[in-house]
Amino acid sequence: MKFSFVDNGKPSRRRILRDAFTLALAASPLASLAKAAAETRAADENAEDVTFAAGPRPLVQYPQKRPLTLVTTRPPHLETPFAVFNDGPITPNDAFFVRYHLANFPTSIDPDSYRLTIKGAVDTPLSLSLAELKALAEPIEVVAVNQCSGNSRGFSTPRVFGAQLGNGSMGNARWVGVSLKTVLEKAGVKADARQVTFRGLDKPVLPSTPEFIKALDISHAMDGEPMIAWSMNGTDLPFLNGYPIRLVVPGYFGTYWIKHLSEIEVVDHTYDGFFMAKGYRVPDNDCFCIAPGTTAAKTQPISKLPVRSFITSVKHGDVLPLKKSVVLKGIAFDGGVGVNKVEVSIDGGKNWREARLGQDLGRFSFREWTLPITFHSKGATQLMVRASNSAGETQPLRADWNPGGYRRHVVETSHVTVA
Amino acid sequence: MKRMKFMTTLLCAAQVCLAAMAGAAPLSITLPPETAAFKPSALPGYQLAQQKCSTCHSADYISFQPPGLTLAQWTAEAGKMQHVYGAPISDQDVRIIGAYLAVTYGSAQASDAEVQAASNPSAGQPPAAPAAKVDAMALLQGNACLSCHAIDHKVVGPAYHDVAAKYANDPQALAKVTSSIQHGSTGKWGEIPMPPFAQLSADDLHSVATFILHQ
Repeated sequence: MKFSFVDNGKPSRRRILRDAFTLALAASPLASLAKAAAETRAADENAEDVTFAAGPRPLVQYPQKRPLTLVTTRPPHLETPFAVFNDGPITPNDAFFVRYHLANFPTSIDPDSYRLTIKGAVDTPLSLSLAELKALAEPIEVVAVNQCSGNSRGFSTPRVFGAQLGNGSMGNARWVGVSLKTVLEKAGVKADARQVTFRGLDKPVLPSTPEFIKALDISHAMDGEPMIAWSMNGTDLPFLNGYPIRLVVPGYFGTYWIKHLSEIEVVDHTYDGFFMAKGYRVPDNDCFCIAPGTTAAKTQPISKLPVRSFITSVKHGDVLPLKKSVVLKGIAFDGGVGVNKVEVSIDGGKNWREARLGQDLGRFSFREWTLPITFHSKGATQLMVRASNSAGETQPLRADWNPGGYRRHVVETSHVTVA
Repeated sequence: MKRMKFMTTLLCAAQVCLAAMAGAAPLSITLPPETAAFKPSALPGYQLAQQKCSTCHSADYISFQPPGLTLAQWTAEAGKMQHVYGAPISDQDVRIIGAYLAVTYGSAQASDAEVQAASNPSAGQPPAAPAAKVDAMALLQGNACLSCHAIDHKVVGPAYHDVAAKYANDPQALAKVTSSIQHGSTGKWGEIPMPPFAQLSADDLHSVATFILHQ
């Protein structure tokens, strides 16, 4: 199959709408309104479009996937086109984002010979086949969001190095598997256990590059939430999402969700490998943030997802009708407390009104929300969305900053024009 | 047999193969060819970046970074690759690569004094005496060939054993392998391109190609 650039040359629907709007108004008495729209558009280029040294990114076709936005080719990193999140609270497998850290991973996996090893501070080291793993206990199920630590990194101001992500490195799926606790109990965790480490079949190209190994505290590993999943939205995991099994850590960032999970080790110390001790760390303070240009006095491993929300039914630059009801729609999620309120502002944050929450698929899932709105005045305005959870956590109006560009969770703003 | 082949073709249609017909079915994928390339430049860091950075990642890891980053930022990033990710590059390589990246993808100009100084570390020094003939293994090590190749197993590129076997009965073997090294090559051994090693002299190319074909 060919590496295909899909739809790259076509102007977006948004641009067509904007341009048609600007043209229609250029010679009319509404010139000031057109000017406002043009200014909104100029602001958009910074507000919405991540910029890159090489210009816009193409859509590309990968195995078992619909065309996704290219972040990097090798190791592969692909983002879900944002419009997908308006289709429903579950992200389809063929649209689910892909992210590898290391380029040396197999492209063929035989489920019959696949083994998951459990070793270290356990009474009985195990080497489980997939059939044995599936027979350990009744399968459990959870709907949970997997979000990259660096999702939305491209919006960091000032910009930081790293994969320049838009908002498409997240997804919500129904995972079926066995609880990590069940597997560890089968092996028998020794009393001196402190952490559990996880690795998959993806390996460094060079022996000098650190291996991608992640760790969870033993209390977290044994609390019944982390699971080893073999099914995603009712079918096998797609290859590039970790076939045949991956770790699912509900409420935690995707960095812990090890793909092609092959080895679990119980250790009697705090694991100090690169991707725990040096990489994927955030400032150790209340906001996990620092002033740009400064250095954090202390850092800690990134962990839970903060509260986030998005408007999915409206894009930057859209033109919305005057005095007609428009249903705004979007998603909200958090690290597992559960979103209990979503508020929307259509006047740039002066006034807020509460949206109606959609079906509750569980506290780790995307929660849809809707709000019918009728605009009563013309011109450029800003739509904003802010979620909170039942612990009272909410989203800041101004983005905070950290050197890794991690855990962005600012109130999102869409610049639109009412006409 | 014909029917099986037809089935396989069908099952492989979407870059995914379910190889076996019954029971165990290994899941196989084919990743798309790597088309991202480094932006050409007259700076010496261009060749070095192609040869060293490409070992572990595609060129779009660089081209899709934010625009406008400075020489200091790009050099620090190349240094991170050396120190954190174990890239086989020297401190001098870091400065040369950093200068190329900052000019090509960032805010620096090729004419900047710092870029020139980083890119021409030996400027002002007398030219080195013509090198004595070095052996093939030293050339392989000195030119980062062994980052991607090994004698007897595939790393990023093919094992030298396999290259030798492929060309064992080919009278054009030496010319073909020499050309692949000198000009780079793609598609013969998979989808990851081999960068050109145009800095090698004719003698060095001959030594390396001959060595590989004897494995």
